[in-house]
Amino acid sequence: MTSYVDRQEKAKFGLDRDAEMRLKNNRLGMTIFQASWIMVFFALIVVNWQLRFSYAQWPPAGVTPFDPLLPSAATLALLLSALLARGGWRQLRRGQLGVFLNSWRLALALGLVFMALIMVEFAAVSDAALATQYGVTMRLMTGFHVAHALAILAVMLRVYRNAARGSYSGDPHDSWPVEGTVKLWYFVTVAWLLFYVVLYWIR
Amino acid sequence: MATIAVPLEAQAEQHEAEAVRRPALSEYLRWSVDHKIIGVQYGVASFLFFLVGGAMAMGIRLELWTPTLDLMVSGSAYNSLFTMHGTIMIFLFIIPMWAAFGNFVVPLQLGAKDMAFPWLNAFAFWLIPPAAIVILLGYFVTPAEAGWTSYPPLSTLFSGDGQTLWALGAHLLGISSIMGSINFIVTILNMRPPQMTVWRMPLLCWAVLATSIIAVMATPFLAGALTLLLLDRVAGTTFFDAAGGGDVLLWQNIFWFYSHPAVYIMVLPGMGVLSEVLSIHCRKPVFGYRMVGLSSMGIAFVGFTVWAHHMFTSLQPELRIPFMITTMIIAVPTGIKMFSWLGTIWGGKMRFTSALLFALGFMSMFVIGGITGVMLAALPFDIHVHDTYFVVSHFHFVLFGGSVFAIYAALYHWFPKVTGRMMNERLGRIHFAFTYFGFLFTFFPMHIVGMLGMPRRVAVYDPNFTEWNQLISFAAFVLGFSTFIVVYNVIHSYFHGPVAGANPWRALTLEWATTSPPPVTNFADDPIPFEDPYGYGTEASVAYLEAVEAAFDGGRPGS
Repeated sequence: MTSYVDRQEKAKFGLDRDAEMRLKNNRLGMTIFQASWIMVFFALIVVNWQLRFSYAQWPPAGVTPFDPLLPSAATLALLLSALLARGGWRQLRRGQLGVFLNSWRLALALGLVFMALIMVEFAAVSDAALATQYGVTMRLMTGFHVAHALAILAVMLRVYRNAARGSYSGDPHDSWPVEGTVKLWYFVTVAWLLFYVVLYWIR
Repeated sequence: MATIAVPLEAQAEQHEAEAVRRPALSEYLRWSVDHKIIGVQYGVASFLFFLVGGAMAMGIRLELWTPTLDLMVSGSAYNSLFTMHGTIMIFLFIIPMWAAFGNFVVPLQLGAKDMAFPWLNAFAFWLIPPAAIVILLGYFVTPAEAGWTSYPPLSTLFSGDGQTLWALGAHLLGISSIMGSINFIVTILNMRPPQMTVWRMPLLCWAVLATSIIAVMATPFLAGALTLLLLDRVAGTTFFDAAGGGDVLLWQNIFWFYSHPAVYIMVLPGMGVLSEVLSIHCRKPVFGYRMVGLSSMGIAFVGFTVWAHHMFTSLQPELRIPFMITTMIIAVPTGIKMFSWLGTIWGGKMRFTSALLFALGFMSMFVIGGITGVMLAALPFDIHVHDTYFVVSHFHFVLFGGSVFAIYAALYHWFPKVTGRMMNERLGRIHFAFTYFGFLFTFFPMHIVGMLGMPRRVAVYDPNFTEWNQLISFAAFVLGFSTFIVVYNVIHSYFHGPVAGANPWRALTLEWATTSPPPVTNFADDPIPFEDPYGYGTEASVAYLEAVEAAFDGGRPGS
């Protein structure tokens, strides 16, 4: 199954078979990694879910529910960041390095905004909440997610700097690092959306 | 219409130019990205762990010779001994051992030059030695004593620092397993030659594919569970402590959501090996090829829906029946395989090589393990024999009678390809006899003591069971002794075995259409697979095999 874009790429670059196989392997490998590692996030959702039943009500009596305002703003920032990263990658494929760099600067900045807001939320969990699994699982989940977001932001920064030095032509074979990083950033986004819904909207 | 056009001539030329060179032994001790080297690294390392875990099993049986404590200073010491035995056998022996055969054989069967991600492959292997060191070191500090399943609160409140090290080591092994499995899936899906559709893929590849799908989807749950366990142990959280709002059943759910599918990680590749070995050594096509391939996928899928049958005694009563039903459904795809194997050997021209003997051993023993599995799935019976030796017997029938017999079959079958030398068949048969009867008399009587009520995981038991236990221990020592025969056979054959040639078993799959051992790039050119990997007994297959023989020095043992 070759997509239209793929066929165009082939016609344009006249690729040799090994390079093509590497790209194909990288893409499938990334998909499988995403499908696999998202299961850890599901496992943590199961943890959150099962621990709810240890309590008569959720959040437990005497604990104020988290205010979804700040996390919603953070979620919006992350979504925009993922869209910008994706848009930047599409522009790079068309050879628009300048547009790519601009989009990624914004994407990185929004990613940092997301991190900052989530960390504020993490720090602001009340002692009353922390005395119950309501606060502890929230810290477990956001902490686990932030660790991933931080690692992948670092990769994005690295890729951005390589791109600024002109390492990636837009040919998907030598720009796999850009594509791969974008896909990892999608992963972070999807994982967060799951947590966001479970933590702030399902009572 | 048969196409026998294999670019064998090109390969033969290369063969003459390079001669058959075995990698120097030192290459196995270094970082290497060659899948063949990594396969052997996995294999030898896992086998060493098998010896360590086996020695621990001997210790367990020695302790159980009398109904009182003698070898062990306390019940706790006994607990840590069987904990290490289970952990080593599962995480450090069987799972990586299948990665060994998968690594060596799968790319060759696909006609590929290497795995999809060679560096990742090497990295996945090199996570295992540090993980093993961490786990084994744990035994010498304050050892883990909560069993390989590490149920809280045993593993949180009543186990020493060794339990923390155990969790760290298991974490590393889980990550290694995920990386290895991603590699297998991508290799199998992407790197087949154009002529090889999925329906022409050797069944070992199907089995490894199904196993890898289980591993990538289930192992992250183990990572989640271990993370929580570590946090409870070192960071003061109370996820598994009801006093702090936690839930001990949480561990059982998450752990078994990984570990039940992991049971199939341990046995599915063995089932793939069976299809290969039975077909090749009985000279008959695999009976019901498509259904066998699909049943691997069926087992992988249904395997995700049965985990709570490990918790029949702790589960909410209304959930027991659904899990009992899903568990029994697993018998359907497993039965498909069993009947396929019977159909494959039926009327075949059987050559009773050591590989075939072990494969037949698998069939007879695994069917007993499978039937006791259905018995245990039946709720009323399970509650009666819960935590007795019946359970111990059941899972050793599937893990030893199943997995280990298949590992031995695979060893005798692919050893010529790995080393270029044949193993000694007479020693192989002696090994089989000792293993088969040692195994049968070790584990079959456990069914009986289990039904009579002997609990598992105890060092001190009711003196009424003494005679049974002495029979079991005696047979276990025979079983332990049998391992030395295969160790001697491997070492002796590596240096002095008759030269194997390219295709000693006259097999049709691609790993036999290159020299033994294969050159670094596996094949000189892109090999063209025979139209049907198990199409034995046709004129086309005979012509193909003759072409292979002509291309590679006769291809017969001893030539």
